Amino acid sequence: MNPASPLEWITLKDFVCVVPILAMFTISLIHLIVKAVLGNRELNPNATLVYNLLAVIVAIGSTAALFGANMGSKSFAFSNALVVDGVAVWMSYLIYLITCVALVLAYDHVATRGHQFTEYCFLLISSAVGMVILMMANDLIVTFIGIETMSLSLYILVAMSREQILSKEASFKYFVLGSFASAIFLYGIALIYGTVGSTYFPQIAEAMPKLLASNRMFLAGLGLLILGFGFKVSLFPLHAWTPDVYQGAATPLTAFMATAVKAATFTAFLRLFMNGGLATSHDLYNVLVWLAVFTMTIGNVAAIMQNNMKRMLAYSSVAHSGYIMIGLLAAGFGTNYGAAATALVFYLVSYAVMTLGAFALVALYEKSADTALEVSQLRGLGRKHPVVGLSLTILMLSLAGIPPTLGFFGKFFIFSAAIEQDMYWLALWGVINSVISVFYYLRPVVVMYFESDDGSQEAAAELLTNRFLTRSAVVLMAVLIVLIGLFSSPLLQAVQKSVLNLL
Amino acid sequence: MLLSFVTLLPLAFALIICVLPQEKWIRPAALAFALFEFAAGLKILAQFDKSSAALQLVDRLPWVSEAGISYFLGVDGLSLWLVMLTTLLTPIVVLASWKSVDKSLKGFHAALFVLETSMLGSFLAMDAVLFYVFFELSLVPMYFMIGIWGGQRRIYATVKFFIYTMAGSLLMLLAIVYLMFAARDTLGYMTSDLLSLYQLKLPFIAGDFLNPQTLLFFAFAIAFAIKVPMFPVHTWLPDAHVEAPTPGSVILAGVMLKMGSYGFMRFVLPLFPEASQHYAPLFLFLGVVGIIYGALVAMVQPDIKKLVAYSSVSHMGYVMLGLFAMNTFGISGSVYQMLNHGVSTGALFLLVGMIYERTHSREISRYGGLAKALPIFTILFFIVTLSSIAAPMTNGFVGEFLILMGAYLASKPMAILAISGVVLGAVYMLWMFKRVFYGQPGELVSDKHHPLVDLSVRECVVLAPLLILIFWMGLFPNHFLDYSKASIDHLVEHRDNYYLTLHAPASPATLAHVVSAKPLAATGVNR
Repeated sequence: MNPASPLEWITLKDFVCVVPILAMFTISLIHLIVKAVLGNRELNPNATLVYNLLAVIVAIGSTAALFGANMGSKSFAFSNALVVDGVAVWMSYLIYLITCVALVLAYDHVATRGHQFTEYCFLLISSAVGMVILMMANDLIVTFIGIETMSLSLYILVAMSREQILSKEASFKYFVLGSFASAIFLYGIALIYGTVGSTYFPQIAEAMPKLLASNRMFLAGLGLLILGFGFKVSLFPLHAWTPDVYQGAATPLTAFMATAVKAATFTAFLRLFMNGGLATSHDLYNVLVWLAVFTMTIGNVAAIMQNNMKRMLAYSSVAHSGYIMIGLLAAGFGTNYGAAATALVFYLVSYAVMTLGAFALVALYEKSADTALEVSQLRGLGRKHPVVGLSLTILMLSLAGIPPTLGFFGKFFIFSAAIEQDMYWLALWGVINSVISVFYYLRPVVVMYFESDDGSQEAAAELLTNRFLTRSAVVLMAVLIVLIGLFSSPLLQAVQKSVLNLL
Repeated sequence: MLLSFVTLLPLAFALIICVLPQEKWIRPAALAFALFEFAAGLKILAQFDKSSAALQLVDRLPWVSEAGISYFLGVDGLSLWLVMLTTLLTPIVVLASWKSVDKSLKGFHAALFVLETSMLGSFLAMDAVLFYVFFELSLVPMYFMIGIWGGQRRIYATVKFFIYTMAGSLLMLLAIVYLMFAARDTLGYMTSDLLSLYQLKLPFIAGDFLNPQTLLFFAFAIAFAIKVPMFPVHTWLPDAHVEAPTPGSVILAGVMLKMGSYGFMRFVLPLFPEASQHYAPLFLFLGVVGIIYGALVAMVQPDIKKLVAYSSVSHMGYVMLGLFAMNTFGISGSVYQMLNHGVSTGALFLLVGMIYERTHSREISRYGGLAKALPIFTILFFIVTLSSIAAPMTNGFVGEFLILMGAYLASKPMAILAISGVVLGAVYMLWMFKRVFYGQPGELVSDKHHPLVDLSVRECVVLAPLLILIFWMGLFPNHFLDYSKASIDHLVEHRDNYYLTLHAPASPATLAHVVSAKPLAATGVNR
């Protein structure tokens, strides 16, 4: 794999790096085998949830025990194909936490807690395993393995809510388009291997400045890689699947997809691009700038026209990909990588918290797998359930970036990073889009507090009061948004430390 | 810690209100809280040293130290009276809404107190990012206040208000970030501390639009011009005012508009001296257009509240005129006019609200002959009308006179045009007064089924402080201007190289804290 160091024998040391994901995967797998052995009868869902949460907690614990202390150092495994550095560790914590929340939401939701809950949990965890591999990958082949592990589990998961016709459509769409994107990505790897002679990140980075200027095939390869990544994080013009798939998937899964997939893919994106090799290529920069601008604008404008809450949040997640691209561009093309990478990672964390909360709220309204929550059905929420209403308000204000919420500081650091690199146009576009987004983020708030219940319109949807865990998740995320927003220093310091050795 | 106490106390009140078990306790509790807050505000006034232009009663803690953002509060002559106005208007509004607000009381009073915190925070914050946080935060409670307790078209009005203001202030956020990096490049540390930002010398090229100082100037100026609101970007104001409930209108006109004009004094003039100087004629012109346009549009309004709303556009035009005259007269007049407008327009909105509670109509043509039916109301309304048209002996006269003197020194044609606005102001107010209070009794006044009742004791108590202030400020302007004089002189004198120092701290504990703060090493603790 890495021509610079001859192929070494795999030693025990290599496995140390993957202990957390191996442990998590194995524990979850055992549970699935038990189910299969016991005549394929669904096990007690309480036990399943506790057991799978245990698997994730083991992963968190072993990560903390193995790498928690050396946030600033880097260790390699499997002939340097995997790298464990601050970002990988930090973001894997985020992925584990998102997985925990997604498991809890799935347990609480009628569409996912059927007679395949065991399989569901297992697939969720194996998808998380793929994400962690993706974030640790230091070689394009491993990146591809990570993406595929993550995606294949997701294809099945999307298809798994059985009542819904939309779910089948979504799954098929996601599978076909996703396979297509994977093929493109693979083609990109082939072209890059053909020009660089290696798939190893540091060697690509080394060859990048020279090849970017002289070699069209390399440029094409890089472009195809970007398209492959862009599909996963729904960049324009590869965003069209997002609303359909997010709508068709069961809501707990949508929450997982919208947050974890983005966090993992952007981290891999960051690792590949943040090496200073791109700084010379103005053409590529211009293309990516316009991708970012279009992603933001189209996401936000389309979100305005949505009445279905899940589709609105789906388009909003497209728009947020655009904001994150600003951070990525500042990191990839700028001179101060540290600040930009910090901003990006911080934004991913804040985005994950806000989006999990928002989708959890949607889950609170779904009586069956077929319920579709319209924004106009939120009428009266503010009066009937003040705590949930206030939480939703905080979530929406945070997504819109109103201070002093977490979302504001996320945007603040992203725009700061862009301004620091003199990318004023990009920052200006980000700001314009923030204003557009206010319009649709305020709509749920308008509906739930301001519109009177005069009975002339369709009936307001009933909040399911028995979903205690989901409700706690909504409130918890809102509290986190305010608390981390007011005291963002510790989080910022931790992120800053973690990105130090990314280069 | 006094300033932090005053700023954050209303937030605590809002939380307490949220958990009060009995609905009937909310109003008395809110009134007691608001009065206590006013007393705390008076304590600031008592401790304020009016001979000094320095920043006083400073509270300073690191907040997001990685980006140089600090929690930094301080008061000087420019912000002192706005703080007092805020703490005064809040109890008045609580008392005024005693009968009129009956929907979700808890939410209303909680929103009011959150609003008070954010307004006080905007006036006291001496850190650009902290200011921005409070400035934006103030949108949220006002958004709810209009949206929940407002009139027919409240949703349209409140969304328009929110998006308008947000659009302006996000540009300002970019400008703040730029300034922070400029501080890093020239001063060596990244900071959003205003005392440090004042030291920046931003490159300026007259006549060229694309240079840092001009662009930053406009980024800030547009944000504040929307808030003021100045002439071409004023269109959110009539909608917001007409749809807002009376308490919302009073706070909006009384205090929130001043956040814009205060922003010009605190940020735009000192941070971008050359650009302010260069573009002053434009802003003088827009100020005058606002004065005349506001007055003309007010004249033809069929709705009393809309008339008062447009009169705000006209009055705030004077404030802008005075600020961009950039001499002692003009700026003193502007500071004074901000208070005047808070007092007299606040009182007008209260009066309009009182008559609306009785008749549920604000249409001028349906009134007439009210003077016979409601004598006390008529007398009070007339006093406030005089104040609004700047008759001598009332507060309005002092402010407008100073501003016109300042404007005359700065630009004679503008001053002459502005004076025509004074006449127009008298026209629309007196004409409205004539149509509502004299002549044949209108359909609402002569309605036998709903006889009108004159002002109650509560309503007189609500208006009394404002009426006293109208005469006090009109007869003894120096009681008020003395407090701001030092700061205004400092601003005018150091127009090109503005700086701000910290007042000698009262206690050794604060001194130790202040010295340890890094950016201060550059500014010096004492002047």
